[in-house]
Amino acid sequence: MTDTPVLDIRGVGKAFPNVRALSNLSFDVRRGEVMAFVGENGAGKSTLLKILSGDYRLDEGTVLLDGQEVSHANPLAARRAGFRLVRQEPEIVPHVSAAENIFVGELPQRGGVVDFKQLRAEAKALLVECGFDGLLDLDAQGDSFSPAQRHIVEIARALKPGVKVIAFDEPTSSLTADETERLFALIRKLRARGLAVIYVTHRLHEVMAISDRIVILRDGRLIGVKETTATTPDDVVRMMVGRDLSYGFSRAETTRDEVVLEVRGLKSRWHRDISFQIRAGEILGFAGLVGAGRTELAKVIFGEYHRSAGEIRIAGKPAHIRSPSDAIRASIGFAPEDRKGEGLILVRSVMENASMAVFSSLARWGVLRNRIMVETVEPLIKSLEIKTPSLEQEVGKLSGGNQQKVVLARWLAAKPKVLILDEPTRAVDVGAKAEIYRLIDSLAQSGIAIMLISSEMPELLALADRIVVMHGGTISTPIEKHDASEEVILNHALGQRAA
Amino acid sequence: MTNMTNSSIQPTSSSNPLKAITRFVGAENLSLIIALVLLVALIASQTPFFFAPRNLMNIGMNLSVVGLLGVGMTIVIVSGALDISVGSIAGVASVVSAMLVTYVGTVLGGVAMGVLAGAILGVVNAAIITYLRVNAVVATLATLSAYRGLAFLIAPEGRPIGVLDQNFAWLGSGRILEGGGFPGVPVSLILLIIIAAIGHFVMSSTVFGRSVYSMGGNPAAARLAGINLNRMKFYIFTISGALAGLAGVLVTARTSSGQPASGTQGLELEAITAVFLGGAILAGGKGTIVGTMLAVVLLATLSNGMNLLGIPTFYQLVAKGFLLVVAVAIGQWRMARAEKAQARAAAATGS
Repeated sequence: MTDTPVLDIRGVGKAFPNVRALSNLSFDVRRGEVMAFVGENGAGKSTLLKILSGDYRLDEGTVLLDGQEVSHANPLAARRAGFRLVRQEPEIVPHVSAAENIFVGELPQRGGVVDFKQLRAEAKALLVECGFDGLLDLDAQGDSFSPAQRHIVEIARALKPGVKVIAFDEPTSSLTADETERLFALIRKLRARGLAVIYVTHRLHEVMAISDRIVILRDGRLIGVKETTATTPDDVVRMMVGRDLSYGFSRAETTRDEVVLEVRGLKSRWHRDISFQIRAGEILGFAGLVGAGRTELAKVIFGEYHRSAGEIRIAGKPAHIRSPSDAIRASIGFAPEDRKGEGLILVRSVMENASMAVFSSLARWGVLRNRIMVETVEPLIKSLEIKTPSLEQEVGKLSGGNQQKVVLARWLAAKPKVLILDEPTRAVDVGAKAEIYRLIDSLAQSGIAIMLISSEMPELLALADRIVVMHGGTISTPIEKHDASEEVILNHALGQRAA
Repeated sequence: MTNMTNSSIQPTSSSNPLKAITRFVGAENLSLIIALVLLVALIASQTPFFFAPRNLMNIGMNLSVVGLLGVGMTIVIVSGALDISVGSIAGVASVVSAMLVTYVGTVLGGVAMGVLAGAILGVVNAAIITYLRVNAVVATLATLSAYRGLAFLIAPEGRPIGVLDQNFAWLGSGRILEGGGFPGVPVSLILLIIIAAIGHFVMSSTVFGRSVYSMGGNPAAARLAGINLNRMKFYIFTISGALAGLAGVLVTARTSSGQPASGTQGLELEAITAVFLGGAILAGGKGTIVGTMLAVVLLATLSNGMNLLGIPTFYQLVAKGFLLVVAVAIGQWRMARAEKAQARAAAATGS
């Protein structure tokens, strides 16, 4: 490890209309180190990354990359200079192969004709080098990629020759524990090779595990740069939020006797023989690798995907669920993982988004009664503490945490008996995350049976009363809260039952 | 905690009547009103005939046919689809209503069967789109051709059918409140105003209307919120077909003949242009009946002005095509601007 700065950020500032996004930031990133950027939403992490990647122009200050000034680069120039950003939501071309996706814009060619042989060889070499060999079929089409595979493509793109600084923006939000380990192995390898790695995340345990130094941002200002070994998560959180906040979350058990959701012998394209029960007030956690079929199970139960066999009972009565509207009628609510793609109608208002699952109960003869809509939605906005200037605000203009709360508000309005939550805190900042945990806890307390799918172990361990692990189309027997640990769950997820 | 930016806060309601009007019309449609005023000023400065009562009557009658199609098309486009068969449906309805009035002698039956024929053809569109899973544009492009052929097939020898019934003609060219120098208001315009008012109410205040906005804004999310998309498509295309049928009936009443083609050909283009000009976007989820109606008035005025100024039909056709491009381009530009503002807000509040 050397101490030469490869990236030198001097007095960088950036303002947007009405908002000062960054002021007078100065620090450097050295060769052979992993530098984490932490801060709540709005702290300026994304803005800083976008300045480095050339997406935004800075207003003041300079950025030196390997001694060369890149303060006013465009994305292509920043890339050529050696700064590579692994975006949180990679752009994938849907109908071309993985290999072409990796080399999009830079396809190897011979006499103007794409050299597919070389393309495959180079793509393969890149994947092997990343340690992601075997996780991605080079001939698979872009639209068939799982979120993790999309990320792998994005990482491979970044590692093409010329890279000096590589920045990961929330890289693990769609990765499983196993894939995260592979990513960490890759990052350690890159560090050993002398690259500078920037790591941006909301997940503090990852920061503690992988980084050498931590840059803490708050409200666009640099609060401090800390050696990771000389600090604790609690210290970092305190610097991030500027106040004390207990990092962990624990809840009292609220499980009651009556079984609310019972799934018996469920079979589908992805599942063989799945059976489980959730009682009133209970949170049943679903762990497993991405692609293990957890989201698909949620959608099968919710009637979005076809169920080839098996029975679903709600409060003891068989529920005939063949579509989402049947599921809603059977008192099931579902907050999907892909909030923007499947959860919300971004161009419509908070009020519409919060009330759309219960439109018909807010209407007489099909005519919506505005007063009743407001009476239904307003208390939910208040109790969930959704920050919105008005009920008419377009949902797309809210922050991630508030958007997730609007999805929750929709299902609270429907007064469900069963609530399926798929990755409820994905891309939500620390403060809002704690709020969402409290919310989920109070929902369970009110007697709702909650099916919680999460790839974040601490989240499952903190919230779930029992945890089942999905692997190979089946689920493990439930692990009681006091027996559950990250190791036990991981072993189940990897199919090593003996643990 | 998350920082809310103030940049996105919208003006709150106010008692100012001007603001109340702005809210009803929609701020983005104010530009349509300004364009209309400028256009009227321009035309009136070139020809004294524009403000002649007879000419205004003409505009009123002309816009009612396109207006009816526009109401249906707004619903279709807000839902995220497109119905380009409406002109052909109007052609079939025109022939059907003329046959009933002339051969059977029933005015009410003529109107009812015209509308019913339109609704049935709309159901056929919906069936092709939902059961055969054909994209709406392709499905209605196919029926645009098929229904036009059907109109010629059911008309005896494929010829227009003359209609002599005066009661029926009153629907198309009659007027009420006439007298004392006031030229009156065309019956067809009254009909449009009633239908548009119902359309506005349905789209803004009913479960059906709000569901149309939801499915247009994000079909996956709408389905997961319990909205039955296939059923919605049946309703939407049936309404569009029925309104096209009514428009066809008006054409028959207006021209005193059941027309398989002339009078209804190309109407889909005008209706679609009006909807986009009125603020809807191709992706769906946005658009209002009020906006479309303003755009219909603007287009009818423009078309009338070009006629008065003696601009040849061929140039008018080019102008119509040009307008559609302009309308969609304006919509795209608005979207891009909104997205940029959103990105800025998002960047300012973090990831």
